[in-house]
Amino acid sequence: MKLAEFIISPILAFIIGIFLMGLSRRIMARIHRRYGPPLMQPVIDLVKLFSQRTVSHGPIFDIGVILSLAGTIALILFIPFGGMCPLEASGGLLVILYIMLFAPLGLALSGGEGANPNISIGISRKFILSLGYEVPFILIVLAVMTYYHTISAVDVVKAQSSFHWALFSLPLFLPGLAYILIIPAMLGIRPFDLASAPQEISSGPMAEYGGKYLALAEIEHAFSIFITIALFVDMFLGGSGNVVYFFLKVLVVFIIGLLINAVFPRFRTEQAVKFLWKWPSVMALAGLVIVLAI
Amino acid sequence: MSLEMLLVIAFGGAFLTYLLGKLSPVLRDILAVLLTLVILAIVALFYGRTGESSFMNFLGFNLSLRINTLSWLFAIAVATLGSLSTIFSLSYMKGKERLDFYYLMMLIVNASMLGIVFSGDLISFYVFWEIMSWGTFLLISYNRGPALAAGLKYIVMSIVGSTAYLLGMFSLYASYSTFNIADIASRISTASPGYLLSVLVLFSITFGIKNALVPLHTWLPDAHSEAPSPFSAVLSGILIKMGTYGFVISMYVLVGIKALSHLGHGILSFHFMLAILAAVTILVPTFIALMQDDAKRVLAWSSIAQVGYIILGIAIGTSLGFAGGMFHFLNHASFKALLFMAIGAVEYRTGTRDLNSLGGIIKKMPFTFMMTLIGALGLIGFPLTNGFVSKWLIYKTLILGKDPFLAFVALFGTWGTILYAYKILHNIFMGQLPEEYKGVEEAPFSMKFPMVILSIIIILFGILPGIPLKVINVIGVSLGFKSLAVNIWGIASDTGALNTINIFSAILVSWIVVWLIFKAAPTSLRVEQDNNYAAGSYVPTGRYLYTANFYAPVYRIIKPYVIDVVDIFYMALAGAVRTLCDWTRRMYTGELGSYVMYIMLFLAVLITMRLGFNIW
Amino acid sequence: MDRNNLIKWLKEPKKMGNKYSLWAVYFSTACGVIEVPPVLTSRWDAERFGIIPVATPRQANLFLITGYVTTKTLKAIIRTYEQMAEPKYTIGFGSCPINGGMYWDSYNTIKHLDKYIPVDGWIAGCMPRPEAIFIGVTKLWGMIDKGLATGYIRYRENYDYYRGNQEKLFGSMEWPPLYTLKEGTNDG
Repeated sequence: MKLAEFIISPILAFIIGIFLMGLSRRIMARIHRRYGPPLMQPVIDLVKLFSQRTVSHGPIFDIGVILSLAGTIALILFIPFGGMCPLEASGGLLVILYIMLFAPLGLALSGGEGANPNISIGISRKFILSLGYEVPFILIVLAVMTYYHTISAVDVVKAQSSFHWALFSLPLFLPGLAYILIIPAMLGIRPFDLASAPQEISSGPMAEYGGKYLALAEIEHAFSIFITIALFVDMFLGGSGNVVYFFLKVLVVFIIGLLINAVFPRFRTEQAVKFLWKWPSVMALAGLVIVLAI
Repeated sequence: MSLEMLLVIAFGGAFLTYLLGKLSPVLRDILAVLLTLVILAIVALFYGRTGESSFMNFLGFNLSLRINTLSWLFAIAVATLGSLSTIFSLSYMKGKERLDFYYLMMLIVNASMLGIVFSGDLISFYVFWEIMSWGTFLLISYNRGPALAAGLKYIVMSIVGSTAYLLGMFSLYASYSTFNIADIASRISTASPGYLLSVLVLFSITFGIKNALVPLHTWLPDAHSEAPSPFSAVLSGILIKMGTYGFVISMYVLVGIKALSHLGHGILSFHFMLAILAAVTILVPTFIALMQDDAKRVLAWSSIAQVGYIILGIAIGTSLGFAGGMFHFLNHASFKALLFMAIGAVEYRTGTRDLNSLGGIIKKMPFTFMMTLIGALGLIGFPLTNGFVSKWLIYKTLILGKDPFLAFVALFGTWGTILYAYKILHNIFMGQLPEEYKGVEEAPFSMKFPMVILSIIIILFGILPGIPLKVINVIGVSLGFKSLAVNIWGIASDTGALNTINIFSAILVSWIVVWLIFKAAPTSLRVEQDNNYAAGSYVPTGRYLYTANFYAPVYRIIKPYVIDVVDIFYMALAGAVRTLCDWTRRMYTGELGSYVMYIMLFLAVLITMRLGFNIW
Repeated sequence: MDRNNLIKWLKEPKKMGNKYSLWAVYFSTACGVIEVPPVLTSRWDAERFGIIPVATPRQANLFLITGYVTTKTLKAIIRTYEQMAEPKYTIGFGSCPINGGMYWDSYNTIKHLDKYIPVDGWIAGCMPRPEAIFIGVTKLWGMIDKGLATGYIRYRENYDYYRGNQEKLFGSMEWPPLYTLKEGTNDG
């Protein structure tokens, strides 16, 4: 049973992530008063990308993008997801924080070998942005860990069973809101798409990607959409023992985030960092102080 | 083999090497490497031994050497880094002047560090400590020019530290009339907290200076970047950790964990204050490192920040935190030495370490890149490297100890680390290869070999952290900490366990899956670096280089806030002292008449005071 | 449109994927691109057919050449075309790239674009209406389906011819050849 979880949870995460990507394009189209592509469009794109013959700039160009996706898939195994958490006793939330590094670092290494000025700018922005959102993110995770006095994600979920959701508890309400504010920054989508700004720096770190490289990067993006939201659901919405309920919770959070994403223009780098260090950080900090005071 | 013999071999061999260098440089190199390897072998054979023996009676004081697991752990790190850096020196220093002197000082510093960790009383500790300080001073200023200023800064601060140490030492002698560490430790439990605190503060100044704890850190950035690279590796890897050793000795051996816990309570206790200093040491230097453009200066500031993690772990004073701090000391020794060596190799081949002008060296030095990558990942604390495990232990201690703000600083410092670690990787190795470095070659074997050994250590301890943690656990238990449930794969616990084997296999399996998918897709065409997207135009070779001012927006945000005020203050102090001395010197006119006048004036003042005010 | 034909997807996934996921990079001069934004945005919404604009040629598989082509801009066109991932399709768009259009007698305008890079299809008009663009895309689908949109294969196989023409026009090329040239034929 345990062994099956190792296979089922990444596959389910992939399906959900791809579905969310398709859904987001569809909903965005409707907000723009367009018809929009079919829900399956991301899959069609992936089929095409995998069939293309593209260029490589060297071994690290390949290894980096593989590392990025491999780390993200491994990360799924640490996240409690509909009653499944294949690697629950292996380091908990602290390890999750760290394995989240694989994706940006892999892309950065790969892009670095790509040797394009656009990539350099993109990577630099990506890291600066991550420095920006890590402040509130670390504070949020610390608030949750301190409140439940554990570093295990499974224990956090367990402590919220039977509707004791953290989002609606007094100390963790503000950190929960802060998390919603930083979701777009963590995913690198509008209003925080400054790393991959297509109009400005030609999609940044992915400027030299085509074919299978782009496909792996897209899959990685699909996974990280799922992971970021699943982490929110686990930490603040009580997770779920049931895959269907878990998916519904993810869907609700995703659509709320999407409505923000659809109507906002892009921040400049400094504006983004200053925003992230101001509002979400202050909210998360307030939450942490309340947690400590109680 | 006794401890005395080891030290005799270490010091005697150093002088023998110097003399042999007058005969033949080749034999000198061979002897230097052999000597360090022999020392390494002897120290390795000491594993598990404990004991104390007196070796000299000096002015009636019994000087002694002692060995236990704590000193063995530091000694093995000293010996390993000593031999690796000597091997690295072989080609790095080739063709430079005053090589006999260089090897002599290198081996003497090495031997004196062994002396420090093996000394069983405060006097021999002090003697070896001074030998180390002066040897370091001579090596830092080896390159002359700005290195002299750096060395001077170091030795002045070091002397201040030594003075503080002497004060502490004599105050302990006055109370307990012995210099032996074990004797003092057994009698100190009755001392008053105020007295303990003053001794601890004195020792903290000494060890804080060596350890580069903010606000005593200002010698380090200059010294690390000006010293020859193999010595920078020793300096950052192990020499500053002598301060860590000193902290452990003074806090947990001399004073002891029980007495330490009574020194104040809550926020105003000794360890919490030290932990706050350590947190500042993490936070500020990390962001100063981010703004440096000299690769070795980045690493130097990063050394300060990483030492902050070590002290943070040790200062918190729980068994988990102590294990994390001690493990991080080992890890920092391995990855920072590796990074300094890799930068040294790049400097050796290209002649520069300026982050703004290098680029694309990966095409010419792929091996050095891999080594730098492993070192940088260790520095970040990437999973599957040893830095991850030690940082995990420290974070967990802080979070479960209800210190989330310290934990926040530690975690946030890690994200700053990512930025500058990637800056080093990107600006040296990634991007376009400039024309002038087209002819660069890979590093020679004697540089590759030490780097390989260190990278193997980093990965091995990252996947199987149980090996060092078991030794550290023995130390912890001997100092009175609770025993940890150490396994070969990490640590078992109720509040969240760590299992590196699981992490390793999860990443390995997903790596294989992704790699298979990658291989199944059509093979890609390998292109040159100038076949690159530039909106359709062809940019001439070398014009794509985009490495200068890498994190410009962050610089703009943090520059007004991140200033090394302490250094500015010290320099102002030094300037003031210099002005004062200049003024004083004007008294010495060189004429006999004025000196007679000073004497008469002084006498007149004395007489006036006696008669007029009736003072004594 | 056979986008939902599952059997066809299983039979020839490559072809289907390329058909319904055309990622476009467009080259434009003067009035050339004036009709492209309405096609890509809300009014005609090309995304419902999977057509989206992308930022770099590495990610694209459809190259729209809109507007007249001069000797100077031809370099950028060739460079961009060579950097695209295979399979790739080119559409000449409007009368200017086809035969010079209103600049037919200019000394500097390229009148035979397909001497320098292979073009899979042309959309005539000055400018072509968005409807015409969709008709062109539909034609391209048909060609992909029948295996006729083989411009990139022609370019690879007759690289000597194309490179020769390019070198004859520019004198010397700044960048090295993409594919290896056959012996003795690169004098054009």
